[in-house]
Amino acid sequence: MVKKYAKPPIVEAVCEFRVTPETQWDLTVPGLLYERLKGSFPQKEQRMIQEVELMQGPEGLQQQIRTSERLLFFTEDRKMLVQVGPRLLTVNALKPYPHWEGFKPRIEMAWKSLQATVEMQGLERMGLRYINHIELPGQSVELAKYFEFYPFVGQRLPQQMVSFLAVAEFSYADDRDRCRVQLTPIPGSGGKSLFMLDIDYFLARPRAVEVVDALAWVEEAHNRVEEVFEGCITDKLREMFEEVL
Amino acid sequence: MLTPVPYLHRPHSKTSVTGLQWTKAEDVKPESPNILTLPRDLLQSFQKRGSSVVIDIEELMERLARKVRIENPNSIREYLLQFTELLDVIPKAVDAAKKHFPEAKLVMDVYQDPEIADCYLVLYIRLKYYDDSVIERLEKAEAEFLNQLVNKRGWIQLTTDFREPEGEGAL
Repeated sequence: MVKKYAKPPIVEAVCEFRVTPETQWDLTVPGLLYERLKGSFPQKEQRMIQEVELMQGPEGLQQQIRTSERLLFFTEDRKMLVQVGPRLLTVNALKPYPHWEGFKPRIEMAWKSLQATVEMQGLERMGLRYINHIELPGQSVELAKYFEFYPFVGQRLPQQMVSFLAVAEFSYADDRDRCRVQLTPIPGSGGKSLFMLDIDYFLARPRAVEVVDALAWVEEAHNRVEEVFEGCITDKLREMFEEVL
Repeated sequence: MLTPVPYLHRPHSKTSVTGLQWTKAEDVKPESPNILTLPRDLLQSFQKRGSSVVIDIEELMERLARKVRIENPNSIREYLLQFTELLDVIPKAVDAAKKHFPEAKLVMDVYQDPEIADCYLVLYIRLKYYDDSVIERLEKAEAEFLNQLVNKRGWIQLTTDFREPEGEGAL
């Protein structure tokens, strides 16, 4: 049973599609996509994006920083956007989260527009990511009260942490998919503590999902993300988010 | 007598398997996800990022925090969510301020105009001593990033509130 909250902590949901290098992609693609999407995403922007690529080289892991141009198409209220970069399409929903019923149709629209524009040869990566900001009262927080995912600190260590980064990756569908979960405190305001809970479910094995099955994969990913989210929080947080029955 | 065990200490069937894999590398079956490769996998999962606006904002704020005192982080987050185009301009504004005021303490905040419904980012320079050159230096610094704001939504204003670097007393 899917839980719904009146005050969900989601600040952004991102659905990402990266197509394989064999897919023909040229400079006309963003413009053609905009023509198809401008009814819903009329506001156009351009940004330079730096991406970090980590590769296994002869001398260990090597880092490459790539800069690419990205076009962003926003809805009139700027609460949703589509990003188009080289062989990349993302759909982002900013807060307030429109719930899955509001987000999913936009994903479908953007994906079908891309399918109509480009002859896709395969999917390199897909991802469904939910970023939550969880604000808690006070500057010192007992994590166990609110979370069921946080770093374990043994009794011989100081119990007061000033900062931490808890990251784990879970395997799904015979390791075809992974879910990366990250919890970290971030600077807050007004004497409150703020935590970022980042849940990123992604296709870990390139080409393991056919292009025609992409939207079914997204639906499955959404179910997994919901399970993981519920697994990360306690009833105390559920109360704060005000479950809608 | 029973000792209360915190929830996290309770062994779960799945996590206890993972625990075994951590301690005995030879037990890891090749067809299973290899826990020993996890750090590399985690590193690799950092690649191909840059699709999340919120993460871009957090990364920028983290970088800024090394050079700038950030007042009201939540207000700045809200502002940047609304005006994402500024994400590329802010580092240039900070660099320009640092270049022309290497001795200054920089403070970033969101300025809310009390008379009209308008707000913008403000980057204050705070100095121990203010002399006649301040305005001229401010203009020079501003000139280095002002053209980047053309045709963009949102605004960042470089200015001073003539306070001391620690931000407590006004001069």
